[in-house]
Amino acid sequence: MPPRVQNHPVVNSLLPYLSSPSTSSSSTISKIPTKYSSSPSLQSTSRQTCRSFSSTVAARTKLRTEMFAWLNGEGAALKTHVPGSNNYVSQLRNKRRAVEGDEEEEGRRIVPPFPLNPNFLSQPILSEELRDAIYDRVVNQKQSVRVVSVDLGVDMRRVGAVVRLVELEKRQKQQGKSMALPYARAIHEMVPTTPLYRNFRDNRINPHESINDLPVHRLTDPQIFYPVSESCQFNRVDAGRVFSAAPALENKQVVKNAANPTEVISRITRNPSRIEKIGKGEDEQQVLQPADARIPHPHLVAHERYRLSNPNERREVMNAYKQRIREEENAEKERKRIAKELRERQITRVQPESSRFEFRFKDVVVSKETTGTNGRGAQAPGRRYGVPSYDRKKGQVKIPTRVEV
Amino acid sequence: MRNRATTPLNRPKIRQSWSKYNLFNLQRLRNPPTSNRTFFQQKWTAKSMARAYHGEQVRESQWARMFSRRIRSVVPMNPLSLAQDDGSGVSAGRGAGLENPRERPSRLTPFSQMTFAPLERRLDVAIFRAMFASSARQARQFVVHGAVTVNGKKMRYPGYLLNPGDLFQVEPERVMFATGAPKDKHERREGRVTRKKMAQSQEAEAEAQEEGAAEGSGEKKESTSQEQDKQNENADPRETLKALLAQAKNIIADSKDVLPAKRKQELRGFQKAVKRVLSRAESSTVLADSLESQFSGLITLLKAKPAEKGDTKRSKRDQSSSKTTNVSESTPSSTTANDNQPGEALTEAFRQAAENPEAEVDTSELTDEEFDVLKQALVQMRDNPIDSTKPYATPWRPRDYMSAFAFIPRYLEVNHNICAAVYLRHPVARPGFSEVPTPFSEQVGTAAFTWYLRRR
Repeated sequence: MPPRVQNHPVVNSLLPYLSSPSTSSSSTISKIPTKYSSSPSLQSTSRQTCRSFSSTVAARTKLRTEMFAWLNGEGAALKTHVPGSNNYVSQLRNKRRAVEGDEEEEGRRIVPPFPLNPNFLSQPILSEELRDAIYDRVVNQKQSVRVVSVDLGVDMRRVGAVVRLVELEKRQKQQGKSMALPYARAIHEMVPTTPLYRNFRDNRINPHESINDLPVHRLTDPQIFYPVSESCQFNRVDAGRVFSAAPALENKQVVKNAANPTEVISRITRNPSRIEKIGKGEDEQQVLQPADARIPHPHLVAHERYRLSNPNERREVMNAYKQRIREEENAEKERKRIAKELRERQITRVQPESSRFEFRFKDVVVSKETTGTNGRGAQAPGRRYGVPSYDRKKGQVKIPTRVEV
Repeated sequence: MRNRATTPLNRPKIRQSWSKYNLFNLQRLRNPPTSNRTFFQQKWTAKSMARAYHGEQVRESQWARMFSRRIRSVVPMNPLSLAQDDGSGVSAGRGAGLENPRERPSRLTPFSQMTFAPLERRLDVAIFRAMFASSARQARQFVVHGAVTVNGKKMRYPGYLLNPGDLFQVEPERVMFATGAPKDKHERREGRVTRKKMAQSQEAEAEAQEEGAAEGSGEKKESTSQEQDKQNENADPRETLKALLAQAKNIIADSKDVLPAKRKQELRGFQKAVKRVLSRAESSTVLADSLESQFSGLITLLKAKPAEKGDTKRSKRDQSSSKTTNVSESTPSSTTANDNQPGEALTEAFRQAAENPEAEVDTSELTDEEFDVLKQALVQMRDNPIDSTKPYATPWRPRDYMSAFAFIPRYLEVNHNICAAVYLRHPVARPGFSEVPTPFSEQVGTAAFTWYLRRR
């Protein structure tokens, strides 16, 4: 870092309020910045005026002069933000090109924050109204996260996070804790935001983000050459089986699946534990399912399929859609209830009288799965004979890996 | 850990920082030359450039352990196209699938820009990305100094790897300090003086409590202030209103010509004036109350009824109001040039009121914009007060060159009001887009990725 303490007053940069005529003169000098342009006249004058009594070497190098010339000239546009629009370095380049006569660049509205990286864009964040609308729908109107996500075009995880954050904000407001309101206002002016449209269909048409992202599965990384006869149907389900090296489905099953694809997908999504498995021991893994089942909103595919088959019955289609969502929610609730029961059954609770504590016991499972074949598995609890604990050894990382809510 | 994250000008390195040196370096950053250089040299340069930005606070061996050659990516799916075909079309034809001439070729997924995605999981980097700190180093300091909680528990490790769903929060005061403009030397002096005064008054109080009988001087002071108030009461309410509005207008006009010190004086004057007006109505608790009650108190005091506005005036000012509504709606910092118009309307109204003093005080002359001006000034006064005890320049304003670095990546959901954010998921690449904010081009990213594949 160049020295922070200036041992001589810098005429053209540090006192913009007090010496406005000099700043204007410096900006005129630095109108055309070339990469190694130096401004000797400026340097010499500043040295003459300020450093007459000093015998030390000037701290201001050529590059430093250049930098302040740029900051006062071209870079001055970046100093303060323009509410409602981005203000990035790449914009300066575009402006320069526009001056030179390249009009295509000027027409581009989305500007990347980093001039060399067009693959990273500054994407909009949720506006205050949209955030409040999400919270209102989930908490007050008791709509499910899935419905809110589809209606407003916001990812389900983000919906959950928004509810958490707004809840926290309300609690803090109640407790009278300090908030950073001017800061939040400034950020919302600098960063693009997704508005809440008056008609929520507009939010569905212009979603905040894509809600049906399919994560690329590890099994699909290798390229596989798999010969298929032309008479055979080979669809996404078969491709998934090939990727996970599962045997092809029997013809009877294929015909059955083709008759009612919606039913097949909903069976998978509602009972994820019953997906067919392949491999033995540690290598056991589920057969790769088609994209229809692995996206966050598989019910939308069913909805579209039904809509395509009944193009003229809009009301019917909407009713079926609502029915499907209701069924999905019920199945979800049921699944959660069963899982909770199962967890409860494994725990024995003991609360001694005249004690404010409740003791919870869980049986230790010593099996090949937990302790491993050699009895040294890290998953199993407790100390085992002959298995040293390395936590006092040098270089062991003690940073927690998770924080329970 | 010593801070070696300097931003030299002669051998520029891009850092995770909002400093102006960094901005200048970013502006003149070019791709490293590849001609006449061996592949090893290219990879070395790319890796050292990228590592100066991505996790320079992490040791190289530590990062080499974190590096993963498997890069997360997603493909956005369209439910309609999934419903229309079951994918058998792709396998039809002669192996390459049936060609659809209408379909646009999908954009490439920039995998190699995601080399440093594992570092984005770190707590200090996530705090910097959420714009709670002005540099990753500062974020690290916040964590170490205990200003950060994860899921409500204090977390002191900057290297904590966030899990999807983790909620982290920084103290709002720290964030305001990190992102706000710094104090100048006059403000620093002011802070010192107030602190000294506070200490003195505390001492005096303690002494008074000990002695228990030193009230004469205090009474005198109170009496003088009451006299002043009485004098003020005699002044014309029209005059007070005029002064109030003028001050409010000045506060809202955030022009760069006005010196910050002068603006501050005005703000203080406005605050005092509002207090004075309210105290005359003997509702001294109003200031502590909500803004709405304060505002309504002001209006009732000034007998201003915006509903009973004269229609003739309204028609006259329609043009100006249509112009100025934009101004009043937009944020205060944008109102520079157009703000003269409501002021003109104001002065005209007051001039007319002054011409025929027989008529009752016409505070109902005020247009909506003028009420907005008044209201905005009040809002600003409450949310963004002058307080010389704060470590940043007050009223708070964003620090210089902050907007050039202002973006929030999608893997975070940030609530800036309370300075809390949720780490939603790990950053992913999608067609034509990568979520890891990196200032380097794909060329550098690819070379750095191949460096860490360890086949050099």
